[in-house]
Amino acid sequence: MSRVTRDALGYLFIIGFCILMLAWAIPTYTPAYPGYGAPPALVPNVAVSVMLVMAVVSIVRVLLAAFLNQPIPPEEREFPEDVDDDSGFTQVGRVNLVHLVSIMVPCALLVVAIDYVGYAIASFAFLMLLQFIIGSRRWLQSIIIAVVLVSVLYIIMRYGFGVPVPGPQLFE
Amino acid sequence: MEMIFAGLLDSISPQSLMFLFVGVTIGVVVGAIPGINGPMAIALFIPVTYYMTPLTAIGFLVGLNKGAFFGGAVSAVLLRTPGTPEAAATSWDGYPLTQQGKGEKGLRMALYSSVAGDLLSTIVLIVIAAPLAAVALFMGPSEIFALISLALTVIAGIGTTSIGRGLAAAAFGITVGLIGTEPVTALPRLTFDVYQLGAGLSLIPVAIGLLAFSEILLQLENIKRQGAAAKCTHQFSKKFEDRFIGLKEFFANFKTLLRSSLIGIGVGAMPGLGAPVASFMSYDQAMKRSKHKEEFGKGRLEGIAASESANSSVVASSLIPLFVLGIPGNLAAAMLMGAFMIHGMQPGPLLFKENAQLMYGIYGSLVLASLFLLLVGRFGLRLFCRAVNIPSMVLYPIVIFTCLMGAYLGKSSMFDVGVMLTFGVLGYFMRKFDYSYVAFLIGFILAPEWERALQQVVIISENDPFMFFQRPVAMALMVLTLFVVVRTFWKSIQEGKKKRAAPAAANSQQ
Repeated sequence: MSRVTRDALGYLFIIGFCILMLAWAIPTYTPAYPGYGAPPALVPNVAVSVMLVMAVVSIVRVLLAAFLNQPIPPEEREFPEDVDDDSGFTQVGRVNLVHLVSIMVPCALLVVAIDYVGYAIASFAFLMLLQFIIGSRRWLQSIIIAVVLVSVLYIIMRYGFGVPVPGPQLFE
Repeated sequence: MEMIFAGLLDSISPQSLMFLFVGVTIGVVVGAIPGINGPMAIALFIPVTYYMTPLTAIGFLVGLNKGAFFGGAVSAVLLRTPGTPEAAATSWDGYPLTQQGKGEKGLRMALYSSVAGDLLSTIVLIVIAAPLAAVALFMGPSEIFALISLALTVIAGIGTTSIGRGLAAAAFGITVGLIGTEPVTALPRLTFDVYQLGAGLSLIPVAIGLLAFSEILLQLENIKRQGAAAKCTHQFSKKFEDRFIGLKEFFANFKTLLRSSLIGIGVGAMPGLGAPVASFMSYDQAMKRSKHKEEFGKGRLEGIAASESANSSVVASSLIPLFVLGIPGNLAAAMLMGAFMIHGMQPGPLLFKENAQLMYGIYGSLVLASLFLLLVGRFGLRLFCRAVNIPSMVLYPIVIFTCLMGAYLGKSSMFDVGVMLTFGVLGYFMRKFDYSYVAFLIGFILAPEWERALQQVVIISENDPFMFFQRPVAMALMVLTLFVVVRTFWKSIQEGKKKRAAPAAANSQQ
């Protein structure tokens, strides 16, 4: 997918999101006007409308350029990773869904598992899995990092801040 | 006067000094690690400050930020991989020095320049913030509303190449910032019947997700794509003149240092510009005014002095709009604003009236942080150089797990961990699609204050649609906001035309 197409799809997503907000979310989940002050829906409506206008303007620009066959500047057409652009600090690029999912799934699993198996076991398993996904194959190093990190954060939270660690408490 | 002494005494209490020192040290270490910057470090450590007194907390975070700014120079000089945009100019002359075996000398110049710029900027902040805040006290809700509107439009340009996308990001930040209890009716708004959203989204999980977690997601992706991260393989020379900076060498760069610090102070005091602008502007000026222009980019100390003094002087001067008007000028100031709010204070002119002792305590901590930076940098330089070589296999799991537990720590709630993960993914997509997460975060932080000011204006004026016409300052600020928007769009259209014309001309020549 070219960058122009991808960005256009992004604008369309924003347009859809804004329409959903304006037509359903804001009217449904905003209190009624109490009769004084600015209506509670005013600022959300203005903010979402600004997003909508910006997205519409951007997509119109893209469509106009396509219909009129206008040349698109390289910085809007190419992904920096394709042109080996190391001059700036832009983080624009292709979305790597496989990478994203590979990191997010263990995180989501930790959030769910911590309530069932407790902080220590869930966190240890999470860190081992995460290190494996990142590419670490030094098992001893991975175990040491996981054990030390889980223990240090346990001590900091439990005894430093007096905050119960997430999930069932082990040493109550 | 009593307040001043009491505040300064607070700042030298053992607890404050200890956390300030720890903050500076951690700041330098994390700043030296490529990819971790000041605002990210603040986001990660704000949860820790829940359990500190307000002065200790703000002192710790300010120290962290100051340390991280200098730390950024370590990876820039040793690896030519500046973790932050503002350190890029430092690498231009710093890395050639490292190649010549004079990396330690380059780092010392960076350290002294950072401390000098930072100290000068802190003095300026101390001298002008309180008098300006006294003037700002005359501002009513109309002026505050107009000022925040102006700040939001100026800030929309940070971190993106498109003002349209910046404005959209700021507007989205405002929308998310409005989730929670509506100020007039005191009823839930945009909570989607999720009771945890009743009090709104906390800054901590949002900031950790947007700043730290999404950054780690991107860095891991880059490492997978490009292979292992760069490692520092250069050796330091053992010769005295290649390691240390003599007084003569330091004072030879004094003029550059002073000029660059003043540029940094000016840039930092203006919301929206930030340290990279100060750093590049100062480097450019130093090169233009130097008698040895040809030596720039080849390891000239003057280049390091210009870049480092300018970007470090932004740290304190960016607190001027925060302390005077309650408007964060950059991301680090936005994070500090969040820290103030977490500790029950609203940054702005009233801060000097209601928390005068604390403010003087913060001033004391700011000065002490500069001195600690000098101390920590001077004696721990070689040790910090090792931080640049921490393997990513070790670093990233630690940072990710710290993000998760940091999000949990604020309210002891796994819901906040979910929020952090959601905003981590959002931040990832925003960066990939060139939407400014900086504008989003500042919009998110300023939204409640912006709406509160608007509500006050509407209620006081009894729904008068011409309320702003009766307040000349507010009117002027609104006109300025409109001018900024129109001018930015006009400039963007003109630049777009130029960019389109360039490939067209190239095609016709072929």
